Amino acid sequence: MKVSGLQCFTLAAFMLLGALPYLVFTPYTIQLATIALMWVLMAQGLNVIQGETGYVSIAQAGFMGVGAYASVLLVQRHGFPVWGAMLMAPLAASMLAAIIGFPSLRVKGHYFAIVTLAYNLVIFITLSNAVSITGGEGGLSAIPRPESLELPYLGTVSFHNRINYYYLTFLTAALGYLGAWLISRSAFGRVLRAIRQNEPLAEAIGVNCRRYKLTAFVISATYAGVAGVLYAHMIGFINPTPFAPDASLNAILAVIVGGSGTVAGPAVGAFMATFLPEFLRVDESTRFIAYGLILIVATIYLPRGLVPAIAEGIAALSVRFRLSGSLTSRPN
Amino acid sequence: MPSAAEILQQIVNGTVIGSVYVLIALGLTVIFGILGVAHFAHGSVAMFGGYLTFWISQKYGLSLYPAMILAIPFGAALGVILELFAYRPVRNAAPINAFIVALGLTMVVDRLNMLLFGPDQLVIRTPYNGVYEIGSIAVSELRIQVVVVTVVMLCLIGYLISHTSAGRAVRAVAQNPYAATLMGIDVNWISLLIFAVSSALGVVAGALIGALLALAPGVGENLVIKGFAILILGGLGSIPGAIIGGLTLGISEALAAGLLSSAYKDVIAFMIMIIVILLRPQGLLGRK
Repeated sequence: MKVSGLQCFTLAAFMLLGALPYLVFTPYTIQLATIALMWVLMAQGLNVIQGETGYVSIAQAGFMGVGAYASVLLVQRHGFPVWGAMLMAPLAASMLAAIIGFPSLRVKGHYFAIVTLAYNLVIFITLSNAVSITGGEGGLSAIPRPESLELPYLGTVSFHNRINYYYLTFLTAALGYLGAWLISRSAFGRVLRAIRQNEPLAEAIGVNCRRYKLTAFVISATYAGVAGVLYAHMIGFINPTPFAPDASLNAILAVIVGGSGTVAGPAVGAFMATFLPEFLRVDESTRFIAYGLILIVATIYLPRGLVPAIAEGIAALSVRFRLSGSLTSRPN
Repeated sequence: MPSAAEILQQIVNGTVIGSVYVLIALGLTVIFGILGVAHFAHGSVAMFGGYLTFWISQKYGLSLYPAMILAIPFGAALGVILELFAYRPVRNAAPINAFIVALGLTMVVDRLNMLLFGPDQLVIRTPYNGVYEIGSIAVSELRIQVVVVTVVMLCLIGYLISHTSAGRAVRAVAQNPYAATLMGIDVNWISLLIFAVSSALGVVAGALIGALLALAPGVGENLVIKGFAILILGGLGSIPGAIIGGLTLGISEALAAGLLSSAYKDVIAFMIMIIVILLRPQGLLGRK
């Protein structure tokens, strides 16, 4: 079986992330890595609608918020067990995406991006003002972690333990990654790419573009909802701030810098977007200026993102050194 | 049930804030209609203009309008810089790239404003505090001036576009950039000109917002989203559409705030935009 360079890299990254809690010991780094994995889900979801289908959604943080609040409200108001709420809550984001995507996907390009941004603002304003339900700016606190599980071989697994929560997030992100990979290889993913490249042509061939676009949008929102649920139950407190449009732009940054339309790109971008501010260690204004400049420079000079650029670099090197072509990634 | 006078008062208030929206939407629609760029950083440029007007009026003890006129060249220069260094390199790439560059610029200009002028809420003080009462409706002097300034700017832009050679070149580029290039029109130059003029309009809008409401972080972002909502309402690239869309949004927002709920007034504004998209994706005045 031939293994491409990119697949080797992915496998290595998976193994590294799987062993991470045994490599780093600072609780802060583990928490940061957990958050990065949530952003992998965010970016992977956004990639389905932005990278594959070519419709930029600036509502992802809003969907993340819907998932987070839905889960917390199910637990705190309706007495759901935490696991039950965590499984149900992402569906709230999916349903909302289906409802708002249905009319909005009639418009293309810039229009769609602006409309989704408006939705994110609507969600944000509602979360901030519906005080009786969401607690307004003060938010909701005392959010419980999921219940301990009795697992074969592992015994009682408590999710109050930071490392166990890391593995929960890691497994979810890995499933999300696998899902994104399957989508990109499936007939469904090919139709999405066809829509991105030439929607009128796809329509003329007989593709029901609206149905595909809506499905892609709902999938992207579901990913964001899952990320929101994981976030809420880890931090233990939510308010509207992390679900403002700024955070949606962060997801776009991750997808663009990593490589829009690739499977590995958004994951790499998500880790960069989470860890970069830690390395920059500057105040928030300067950080956003740096973000903005990186986004602009990356769009101008690396329009396809880091992962494709690196893959091409490896391909060029392996040709130069007459290595076997199997090391190069196949163009898709 | 609100009285007719209350409703009328809100319509007047809405016309005033709608005028500022028209100025923002005008800049956006000209840039979008002619260059095809969704200039998302326009709101932040307008805020830069507003802050600069505030700073000049404080520093040199000038009143609103002289300070605004002094701020205009700097705002226009900012627009030109953005065009040259950010939008031009992606002009021939996919439209999505320009949009992402625009999002990046919004982050940069917004936070630069914060670094330069601080995060506090600022209000440009004016001596125009007199109030005219017409029947039961009260309108302040400043609010009337805002509408007058907007009308003057609209006439000025209309004149520039229809009666000058540069305006003719701009219209040619809007119709067909390739043919315009063949006729010897320098599209690069037109592009700079459009960004300069639109940003100047943005400065006027920012200064008026600063005098009428307040300058604060986040206002620019809110403003540009409303600007795009107006473009969607009126039809992208249509100047009459921007005027009608701006007034519609301003008035419906004022009615919503005054009669329903001020916390959700923006939600109502966006709902109107979404309903228009649902019923008429090409906008109120747009062509199919």
